Amino acid sequence: MRIDQELCICCLKCLPYCPVDAIINGPEGVYIDQELCAECGTCLRTAGCPTGALQEPEDVYKEPRSVRKFFSDPTTTHKETMIPGRGTEEVKTNDVTGRVKRGQVGIGIEMGRPVLGTKMTEVEKITMRLAQMGIQLEHNNPLFYLIDDPQKGTLKSWVKNERVVSCIVEFEIPFDMLKEVLQAIKELANEIDTVFSLDVVSRFDENGNIPTIPVLEELGICYRPNAKINLGLGRPLREE
Amino acid sequence: MTHSLHRRGDVESLRRDYVLLFTPAAGINHEGSHEKLEKIVDIVAEAGPTNIGSYDVKKNIYDGITIEDVKKNLRMSKVPRVRCCFSDKNKVLQVLKKVKEGDFGISVTVSGLIDEVLNMSKEINCKPHSINLSLGVWGRTEKLPDETIMEIVTMCGHGLLSKALVKKEAELVRKGKKSIRQAAEELARPCTCGIVNVDRAQDIISRWIARDM
Repeated sequence: MRIDQELCICCLKCLPYCPVDAIINGPEGVYIDQELCAECGTCLRTAGCPTGALQEPEDVYKEPRSVRKFFSDPTTTHKETMIPGRGTEEVKTNDVTGRVKRGQVGIGIEMGRPVLGTKMTEVEKITMRLAQMGIQLEHNNPLFYLIDDPQKGTLKSWVKNERVVSCIVEFEIPFDMLKEVLQAIKELANEIDTVFSLDVVSRFDENGNIPTIPVLEELGICYRPNAKINLGLGRPLREE
Repeated sequence: MTHSLHRRGDVESLRRDYVLLFTPAAGINHEGSHEKLEKIVDIVAEAGPTNIGSYDVKKNIYDGITIEDVKKNLRMSKVPRVRCCFSDKNKVLQVLKKVKEGDFGISVTVSGLIDEVLNMSKEINCKPHSINLSLGVWGRTEKLPDETIMEIVTMCGHGLLSKALVKKEAELVRKGKKSIRQAAEELARPCTCGIVNVDRAQDIISRWIARDM
Protein backbone atom coordinates (compact mmCIF):
# COMPACT_ATOMS: atom_id res chain seq x y z
CA MET A 1 0.00 0.00 0.00
CA ARG A 2 1.04 3.56 -0.52
CA ILE A 3 -0.24 6.97 0.50
CA ASP A 4 -0.45 9.67 -2.15
CA GLN A 5 1.09 12.64 -0.36
CA GLU A 6 -0.72 15.07 -2.66
CA LEU A 7 -4.08 13.72 -1.57
CA CYS A 8 -3.43 12.91 2.10
CA ILE A 9 -4.90 15.44 4.53
CA CYS A 10 -3.27 13.82 7.57
CA CYS A 11 -6.59 13.02 9.23
CA LEU A 12 -4.90 9.94 10.74
CA LYS A 13 -8.08 7.90 10.33
CA CYS A 14 -6.17 5.01 8.78
CA LEU A 15 -3.50 4.62 11.47
CA PRO A 16 -5.25 2.28 13.93
CA TYR A 17 -6.54 -0.09 11.23
CA CYS A 18 -3.11 -1.38 10.23
CA PRO A 19 -2.51 -4.78 11.89
CA VAL A 20 1.27 -4.48 11.53
CA ASP A 21 1.74 -0.82 12.53
CA ALA A 22 3.10 0.10 9.12
CA ILE A 23 1.31 3.46 8.78
CA ILE A 24 3.59 6.13 10.18
CA ASN A 25 2.71 9.69 11.12
CA GLY A 26 6.08 11.33 10.47
CA PRO A 27 7.30 14.93 10.32
CA GLU A 28 6.94 14.90 6.53
CA GLY A 29 3.40 13.55 6.65
CA VAL A 30 1.68 10.18 6.87
CA TYR A 31 3.38 7.38 4.97
CA ILE A 32 3.51 3.60 4.81
CA ASP A 33 6.70 1.87 5.84
CA GLN A 34 7.25 -0.45 2.88
CA GLU A 35 9.37 -2.86 4.92
CA LEU A 36 6.63 -3.33 7.52
CA CYS A 37 3.58 -3.26 5.24
CA ALA A 38 2.28 -6.80 4.61
CA GLU A 39 -0.06 -5.70 1.79
CA CYS A 40 -3.10 -7.12 3.59
CA GLY A 41 -5.26 -4.28 2.23
CA THR A 42 -7.11 -3.76 5.52
CA CYS A 43 -6.52 0.00 5.52
CA LEU A 44 -7.91 0.33 2.00
CA ARG A 45 -11.00 -1.80 2.71
CA THR A 46 -11.82 -0.56 6.17
CA ALA A 47 -10.38 2.80 7.15
CA GLY A 48 -12.52 4.86 4.79
CA CYS A 49 -9.85 7.28 3.57
CA PRO A 50 -11.83 10.44 2.79
CA THR A 51 -9.63 11.59 -0.10
CA GLY A 52 -8.57 8.36 -1.79
CA ALA A 53 -4.98 8.88 -0.71
CA LEU A 54 -4.60 5.22 0.28
CA GLN A 55 -3.76 3.34 -2.87
CA GLU A 56 -2.73 -0.14 -3.84
CA PRO A 57 0.06 -0.13 -6.44
CA GLU A 58 -0.14 -2.79 -9.18
CA ASP A 59 3.21 -4.22 -8.18
CA VAL A 60 1.67 -5.93 -5.14
CA TYR A 61 0.53 -8.69 -7.51
CA LYS A 62 4.04 -9.14 -8.93
CA GLU A 63 7.04 -10.86 -7.36
CA PRO A 64 8.39 -10.26 -4.78
CA ARG A 65 5.64 -8.06 -3.30
CA SER A 66 3.02 -10.68 -4.25
CA VAL A 67 4.28 -12.90 -1.44
CA ARG A 68 3.08 -10.31 1.05
CA LYS A 69 -0.22 -9.90 -0.76
CA PHE A 70 -1.17 -13.54 -1.16
CA PHE A 71 -0.17 -14.59 2.34
CA SER A 72 -1.65 -11.60 4.15
CA ASP A 73 -4.85 -10.76 2.29
CA PRO A 74 -7.56 -13.45 2.61
CA THR A 75 -9.59 -11.79 -0.12
CA THR A 76 -7.05 -12.95 -2.70
CA THR A 77 -7.15 -16.48 -4.08
CA HIS A 78 -4.09 -18.43 -5.08
CA LYS A 79 -4.31 -19.56 -8.68
CA GLU A 80 -2.62 -22.89 -7.93
CA THR A 81 -4.79 -23.94 -4.99
CA MET A 82 -8.10 -22.10 -5.61
CA ILE A 83 -8.06 -21.37 -1.88
CA PRO A 84 -8.25 -17.87 -0.39
CA GLY A 85 -5.59 -16.71 2.04
CA ARG A 86 -2.45 -18.37 3.31
CA GLY A 87 -3.66 -21.84 4.18
CA THR A 88 -5.53 -24.82 2.84
CA GLU A 89 -8.87 -26.47 3.43
CA GLU A 90 -7.13 -28.76 6.01
CA VAL A 91 -9.61 -30.12 8.58
CA LYS A 92 -12.42 -28.08 7.01
CA THR A 93 -12.92 -30.67 4.27
CA ASN A 94 -10.99 -33.62 5.66
CA ASP A 95 -14.16 -35.74 5.65
CA VAL A 96 -14.22 -35.44 1.84
CA THR A 97 -10.54 -35.14 0.93
CA GLY A 98 -9.27 -37.75 3.37
CA ARG A 99 -6.08 -35.77 3.62
CA VAL A 100 -5.27 -36.66 7.23
CA LYS A 101 -5.99 -40.35 7.65
CA ARG A 102 -6.05 -42.59 10.69
CA GLY A 103 -2.43 -43.25 11.68
CA GLN A 104 -1.42 -39.77 10.52
CA VAL A 105 -1.28 -36.32 12.08
CA GLY A 106 -1.51 -32.98 10.30
CA ILE A 107 0.54 -30.17 11.81
CA GLY A 108 0.22 -26.44 11.24
CA ILE A 109 2.87 -24.01 12.46
CA GLU A 110 1.34 -20.61 11.80
CA MET A 111 4.28 -18.24 11.79
CA GLY A 112 3.62 -14.65 12.84
CA ARG A 113 0.24 -15.35 14.34
CA PRO A 114 -1.01 -13.71 16.44
CA VAL A 115 -0.22 -10.00 16.11
CA LEU A 116 3.50 -9.95 15.30
CA GLY A 117 3.69 -11.04 11.67
CA THR A 118 6.82 -12.64 10.33
CA LYS A 119 9.67 -12.25 7.90
CA MET A 120 10.03 -15.17 5.53
CA THR A 121 13.56 -15.75 6.84
CA GLU A 122 11.95 -16.84 10.12
CA VAL A 123 9.73 -19.24 8.19
CA GLU A 124 12.81 -20.68 6.52
CA LYS A 125 14.25 -21.62 9.92
CA ILE A 126 11.28 -23.94 10.34
CA THR A 127 11.23 -25.34 6.80
CA MET A 128 14.97 -26.11 6.92
CA ARG A 129 14.65 -28.02 10.18
CA LEU A 130 11.68 -30.00 8.87
CA ALA A 131 13.59 -30.84 5.69
CA GLN A 132 16.42 -32.23 7.83
CA MET A 133 13.84 -34.53 9.40
CA GLY A 134 12.70 -35.69 5.96
CA ILE A 135 9.33 -33.96 6.24
CA GLN A 136 7.64 -32.73 3.07
CA LEU A 137 5.37 -29.70 3.10
CA GLU A 138 1.70 -29.86 2.10
CA HIS A 139 1.59 -29.19 -1.64
CA ASN A 140 -1.77 -27.39 -1.49
CA ASN A 141 -0.31 -24.74 0.80
CA PRO A 142 1.06 -21.74 -1.14
CA LEU A 143 4.32 -21.95 0.82
CA PHE A 144 5.09 -25.15 -1.12
CA TYR A 145 5.54 -23.06 -4.28
CA LEU A 146 8.13 -20.82 -2.63
CA ILE A 147 10.53 -23.59 -1.64
CA ASP A 148 13.74 -23.51 -3.66
CA ASP A 149 15.37 -26.77 -2.55
CA PRO A 150 12.96 -29.29 -0.98
CA GLN A 151 15.90 -31.37 0.30
CA LYS A 152 17.25 -28.43 2.29
CA GLY A 153 13.95 -26.59 2.93
CA THR A 154 15.40 -23.30 1.66
CA LEU A 155 13.18 -20.60 0.20
CA LYS A 156 13.67 -18.95 -3.17
CA SER A 157 16.05 -16.05 -2.74
CA TRP A 158 13.57 -13.35 -3.84
CA VAL A 159 11.11 -14.49 -1.14
CA LYS A 160 13.35 -14.21 1.89
CA ASN A 161 13.12 -10.49 2.60
CA GLU A 162 9.35 -10.39 2.38
CA ARG A 163 7.14 -9.87 5.42
CA VAL A 164 3.66 -11.30 5.92
CA VAL A 165 0.86 -11.20 8.50
CA SER A 166 1.21 -14.96 8.79
CA CYS A 167 2.44 -18.01 6.92
CA ILE A 168 1.40 -21.55 7.73
CA VAL A 169 3.99 -24.30 7.58
CA GLU A 170 1.73 -27.25 7.03
CA PHE A 171 2.49 -30.95 6.69
CA GLU A 172 1.40 -34.46 7.52
CA ILE A 173 3.45 -37.06 9.38
CA PRO A 174 2.95 -40.66 10.46
CA PHE A 175 1.49 -40.75 13.96
CA ASP A 176 4.59 -42.38 15.41
CA MET A 177 6.68 -39.31 14.46
CA LEU A 178 4.49 -36.93 16.45
CA LYS A 179 6.57 -36.90 19.61
CA GLU A 180 9.85 -36.33 17.78
CA VAL A 181 8.38 -33.54 15.64
CA LEU A 182 6.77 -31.73 18.57
CA GLN A 183 10.08 -31.83 20.44
CA ALA A 184 11.80 -30.28 17.42
CA ILE A 185 9.12 -27.59 17.23
CA LYS A 186 9.63 -26.82 20.93
CA GLU A 187 13.32 -26.22 20.22
CA LEU A 188 12.54 -24.09 17.17
CA ALA A 189 10.33 -21.84 19.31
CA ASN A 190 13.50 -20.65 21.03
CA GLU A 191 15.24 -19.86 17.76
CA ILE A 192 12.74 -17.61 16.02
CA ASP A 193 12.25 -13.87 16.34
CA THR A 194 8.45 -13.97 16.22
CA VAL A 195 5.62 -16.17 17.48
CA PHE A 196 3.70 -19.03 15.98
CA SER A 197 0.37 -20.67 16.74
CA LEU A 198 0.58 -24.43 16.67
CA ASP A 199 -2.08 -26.99 15.88
CA VAL A 200 -2.48 -30.72 15.29
CA VAL A 201 -5.14 -32.38 13.16
CA SER A 202 -6.19 -35.98 13.56
CA ARG A 203 -9.08 -38.29 12.83
CA PHE A 204 -11.16 -39.33 15.83
CA ASP A 205 -10.52 -43.00 16.53
CA GLU A 206 -13.22 -45.67 16.19
CA ASN A 207 -14.40 -44.96 19.75
CA GLY A 208 -14.57 -41.22 19.27
CA ASN A 209 -11.34 -40.54 21.18
CA ILE A 210 -8.72 -37.98 20.16
CA PRO A 211 -5.51 -39.95 19.58
CA THR A 212 -3.12 -37.01 19.86
CA ILE A 213 -4.04 -36.16 23.46
CA PRO A 214 -2.01 -38.90 25.24
CA VAL A 215 1.12 -37.82 23.33
CA LEU A 216 0.57 -34.18 24.22
CA GLU A 217 0.06 -35.11 27.87
CA GLU A 218 3.24 -37.17 27.87
CA LEU A 219 5.21 -34.22 26.50
CA GLY A 220 3.58 -31.77 28.92
CA ILE A 221 2.05 -29.77 26.08
CA CYS A 222 -1.28 -28.16 26.91
CA TYR A 223 -4.07 -27.94 24.36
CA ARG A 224 -6.76 -25.29 24.34
CA PRO A 225 -10.32 -26.15 25.47
CA ASN A 226 -11.65 -24.90 22.14
CA ALA A 227 -10.98 -26.75 18.90
CA LYS A 228 -12.13 -26.98 15.32
CA ILE A 229 -14.19 -30.08 14.66
CA ASN A 230 -15.22 -31.51 11.32
CA LEU A 231 -18.64 -33.06 11.86
CA GLY A 232 -18.37 -35.60 9.03
CA LEU A 233 -21.31 -34.24 7.04
CA GLY A 234 -19.43 -33.87 3.73
CA ARG A 235 -20.04 -36.27 0.85
CA PRO A 236 -18.61 -38.44 -0.57
CA LEU A 237 -17.32 -39.37 2.88
CA ARG A 238 -13.73 -40.54 2.97
CA GLU A 239 -13.48 -42.91 5.89
CA GLU A 240 -9.81 -43.63 5.18
CA MET B 1 -4.73 -24.17 8.90
CA THR B 2 -6.94 -22.71 11.36
CA HIS B 3 -8.40 -19.31 10.90
CA SER B 4 -11.18 -20.00 13.41
CA LEU B 5 -9.09 -22.16 15.73
CA HIS B 6 -6.73 -20.10 17.85
CA ARG B 7 -9.27 -17.92 19.69
CA ARG B 8 -8.10 -16.93 23.15
CA GLY B 9 -10.14 -16.57 26.30
CA ASP B 10 -11.28 -18.65 29.25
CA VAL B 11 -13.93 -21.34 29.13
CA GLU B 12 -16.71 -19.05 30.37
CA SER B 13 -16.03 -16.51 27.64
CA LEU B 14 -15.77 -19.22 24.99
CA ARG B 15 -19.17 -20.60 25.94
CA ARG B 16 -20.58 -17.72 23.88
CA ASP B 17 -18.39 -18.31 20.85
CA TYR B 18 -18.98 -20.71 17.97
CA VAL B 19 -17.70 -20.41 14.42
CA LEU B 20 -19.38 -22.41 11.67
CA LEU B 21 -17.66 -23.05 8.35
CA PHE B 22 -19.41 -24.62 5.38
CA THR B 23 -16.78 -25.60 2.82
CA PRO B 24 -16.99 -27.51 -0.45
CA ALA B 25 -13.77 -29.39 -1.23
CA ALA B 26 -12.11 -27.73 -4.23
CA GLY B 27 -11.88 -30.18 -7.11
CA ILE B 28 -14.05 -32.82 -5.41
CA ASN B 29 -17.53 -31.54 -4.65
CA HIS B 30 -17.42 -27.81 -5.37
CA GLU B 31 -19.29 -28.17 -8.68
CA GLY B 32 -22.95 -27.46 -7.99
CA SER B 33 -22.30 -26.33 -4.43
CA HIS B 34 -23.63 -22.79 -4.96
CA GLU B 35 -27.26 -23.74 -4.64
CA LYS B 36 -26.59 -25.83 -1.55
CA LEU B 37 -24.74 -23.00 0.12
CA GLU B 38 -27.56 -20.60 -0.71
CA LYS B 39 -29.91 -22.89 1.19
CA ILE B 40 -27.42 -23.08 4.05
CA VAL B 41 -27.25 -19.26 4.20
CA ASP B 42 -31.06 -19.26 4.53
CA ILE B 43 -30.82 -21.66 7.46
CA VAL B 44 -28.09 -19.55 9.10
CA ALA B 45 -30.09 -16.35 8.53
CA GLU B 46 -33.20 -17.84 10.11
CA ALA B 47 -31.24 -18.73 13.25
CA GLY B 48 -29.72 -15.24 13.48
CA PRO B 49 -25.90 -15.30 13.43
CA THR B 50 -23.79 -12.87 15.42
CA ASN B 51 -21.77 -12.24 12.28
CA ILE B 52 -21.45 -13.56 8.74
CA GLY B 53 -19.13 -12.50 5.95
CA SER B 54 -18.61 -12.78 2.25
CA TYR B 55 -15.33 -13.58 0.53
CA ASP B 56 -17.02 -12.53 -2.67
CA VAL B 57 -17.65 -8.89 -1.76
CA LYS B 58 -14.91 -8.78 0.89
CA LYS B 59 -17.22 -7.51 3.60
CA ASN B 60 -19.32 -8.69 6.53
CA ILE B 61 -22.70 -7.60 7.90
CA TYR B 62 -21.09 -4.82 9.98
CA ASP B 63 -19.39 -3.41 6.93
CA GLY B 64 -22.28 -2.52 4.68
CA ILE B 65 -23.76 -5.77 3.41
CA THR B 66 -26.77 -7.87 4.40
CA ILE B 67 -27.13 -11.62 4.77
CA GLU B 68 -29.11 -11.50 1.52
CA ASP B 69 -26.03 -9.98 -0.14
CA VAL B 70 -23.89 -12.82 1.22
CA LYS B 71 -26.26 -15.29 -0.41
CA LYS B 72 -26.64 -13.36 -3.66
CA ASN B 73 -22.89 -13.06 -4.20
CA LEU B 74 -21.92 -16.69 -3.58
CA ARG B 75 -22.03 -17.28 -7.33
CA MET B 76 -19.14 -14.85 -7.83
CA SER B 77 -16.75 -17.54 -6.57
CA LYS B 78 -15.80 -20.74 -8.34
CA VAL B 79 -15.52 -22.43 -4.93
CA PRO B 80 -18.04 -20.65 -2.69
CA ARG B 81 -17.75 -20.76 1.10
CA VAL B 82 -19.88 -19.66 4.02
CA ARG B 83 -18.37 -18.48 7.31
CA CYS B 84 -20.38 -17.21 10.28
CA CYS B 85 -20.40 -17.12 14.05
CA PHE B 86 -22.90 -17.40 16.85
CA SER B 87 -22.92 -16.52 20.52
CA ASP B 88 -25.89 -18.76 21.36
CA LYS B 89 -25.36 -22.52 21.49
CA ASN B 90 -29.04 -23.21 20.86
CA LYS B 91 -28.91 -21.32 17.59
CA VAL B 92 -25.90 -23.37 16.51
CA LEU B 93 -27.80 -26.52 17.28
CA GLN B 94 -30.79 -25.27 15.29
CA VAL B 95 -28.54 -24.66 12.27
CA LEU B 96 -26.77 -28.00 12.55
CA LYS B 97 -30.04 -29.93 12.82
CA LYS B 98 -31.40 -28.33 9.67
CA VAL B 99 -28.16 -28.70 7.74
CA LYS B 100 -28.02 -32.37 8.66
CA GLU B 101 -31.65 -32.82 7.59
CA GLY B 102 -30.87 -31.03 4.32
CA ASP B 103 -28.16 -33.63 3.58
CA PHE B 104 -26.22 -31.13 1.46
CA GLY B 105 -22.98 -33.12 1.50
CA ILE B 106 -20.98 -29.96 2.21
CA SER B 107 -18.30 -30.24 4.90
CA VAL B 108 -19.21 -28.53 8.16
CA THR B 109 -16.76 -27.58 10.89
CA VAL B 110 -17.64 -26.04 14.21
CA SER B 111 -15.00 -24.21 16.22
CA GLY B 112 -15.85 -23.96 19.89
CA LEU B 113 -15.43 -25.67 23.24
CA ILE B 114 -14.61 -29.31 22.53
CA ASP B 115 -17.14 -30.78 24.97
CA GLU B 116 -19.92 -28.52 23.76
CA VAL B 117 -19.33 -29.27 20.09
CA LEU B 118 -19.13 -33.02 20.71
CA ASN B 119 -22.39 -32.85 22.67
CA MET B 120 -24.00 -31.05 19.74
CA SER B 121 -22.82 -33.73 17.35
CA LYS B 122 -24.50 -36.31 19.59
CA GLU B 123 -27.71 -34.33 19.61
CA ILE B 124 -27.86 -34.25 15.82
CA ASN B 125 -26.70 -37.85 15.65
CA CYS B 126 -23.58 -37.40 13.58
CA LYS B 127 -20.16 -38.95 13.97
CA PRO B 128 -17.42 -36.29 14.10
CA HIS B 129 -14.70 -37.04 11.60
CA SER B 130 -11.58 -35.02 12.48
CA ILE B 131 -10.38 -32.52 15.02
CA ASN B 132 -7.86 -29.70 14.95
CA LEU B 133 -6.44 -28.98 18.41
CA SER B 134 -4.80 -25.65 19.21
CA LEU B 135 -1.56 -25.99 21.15
CA GLY B 136 -1.37 -22.26 21.81
CA VAL B 137 1.23 -19.63 21.00
CA TRP B 138 4.99 -20.31 21.00
CA GLY B 139 8.13 -18.25 20.52
CA ARG B 140 8.56 -14.60 21.47
CA THR B 141 5.30 -14.37 23.43
CA GLU B 142 6.70 -11.54 25.55
CA LYS B 143 6.16 -9.27 22.54
CA LEU B 144 2.39 -9.86 22.53
CA PRO B 145 -0.17 -7.41 23.92
CA ASP B 146 -2.08 -8.18 27.11
CA GLU B 147 -4.57 -11.00 27.23
CA THR B 148 -7.71 -8.83 26.95
CA ILE B 149 -6.53 -7.43 23.64
CA MET B 150 -5.50 -10.91 22.55
CA GLU B 151 -9.00 -12.22 23.26
CA ILE B 152 -10.42 -9.69 20.83
CA VAL B 153 -7.83 -9.68 18.06
CA THR B 154 -7.64 -13.49 17.80
CA MET B 155 -11.29 -13.55 16.75
CA CYS B 156 -10.07 -12.49 13.30
CA GLY B 157 -8.16 -15.58 12.30
CA HIS B 158 -6.40 -13.86 9.43
CA GLY B 159 -4.89 -11.35 11.85
CA LEU B 160 -6.49 -8.29 10.27
CA LEU B 161 -7.89 -6.80 13.45
CA SER B 162 -5.19 -4.60 14.95
CA LYS B 163 -4.38 -4.08 18.60
CA ALA B 164 -4.33 -0.33 17.91
CA LEU B 165 -7.95 -0.38 16.78
CA VAL B 166 -8.97 -2.31 19.90
CA LYS B 167 -7.26 0.27 22.10
CA LYS B 168 -8.77 3.16 20.16
CA GLU B 169 -12.33 1.82 20.33
CA ALA B 170 -12.04 1.04 24.05
CA GLU B 171 -10.81 4.59 24.58
CA LEU B 172 -13.78 6.02 22.68
CA VAL B 173 -16.10 4.04 24.96
CA ARG B 174 -14.29 5.27 28.06
CA LYS B 175 -14.68 8.85 26.87
CA GLY B 176 -18.40 8.31 26.27
CA LYS B 177 -18.06 8.90 22.52
CA LYS B 178 -19.28 5.45 21.55
CA SER B 179 -21.44 2.76 23.09
CA ILE B 180 -19.81 -0.60 23.80
CA ARG B 181 -21.93 -2.13 21.04
CA GLN B 182 -20.81 0.48 18.50
CA ALA B 183 -17.19 -0.18 19.40
CA ALA B 184 -17.66 -3.96 19.10
CA GLU B 185 -19.25 -3.55 15.67
CA GLU B 186 -16.36 -1.37 14.47
CA LEU B 187 -13.93 -4.04 15.61
CA ALA B 188 -15.76 -6.60 13.46
CA ARG B 189 -15.29 -4.64 10.23
CA PRO B 190 -11.70 -5.62 9.28
CA CYS B 191 -12.55 -9.33 9.39
CA THR B 192 -13.92 -10.02 5.92
CA CYS B 193 -14.81 -13.63 6.79
CA GLY B 194 -17.30 -12.38 9.36
CA ILE B 195 -16.12 -14.46 12.29
CA VAL B 196 -15.44 -11.72 14.83
CA ASN B 197 -18.14 -12.44 17.38
CA VAL B 198 -19.59 -9.02 18.11
CA ASP B 199 -21.56 -10.17 21.16
CA ARG B 200 -18.41 -11.60 22.68
CA ALA B 201 -16.34 -8.53 21.77
CA GLN B 202 -18.99 -6.49 23.58
CA ASP B 203 -18.66 -8.72 26.66
CA ILE B 204 -14.87 -8.44 26.65
CA ILE B 205 -14.87 -4.64 26.32
CA SER B 206 -17.47 -4.35 29.11
CA ARG B 207 -15.35 -6.51 31.38
CA TRP B 208 -12.22 -4.53 30.47
CA ILE B 209 -13.79 -1.17 31.18
CA ALA B 210 -15.38 -2.35 34.43
CA ARG B 211 -12.01 -3.69 35.57
CA ASP B 212 -10.28 -0.36 34.88
CA MET B 213 -12.86 1.75 36.70
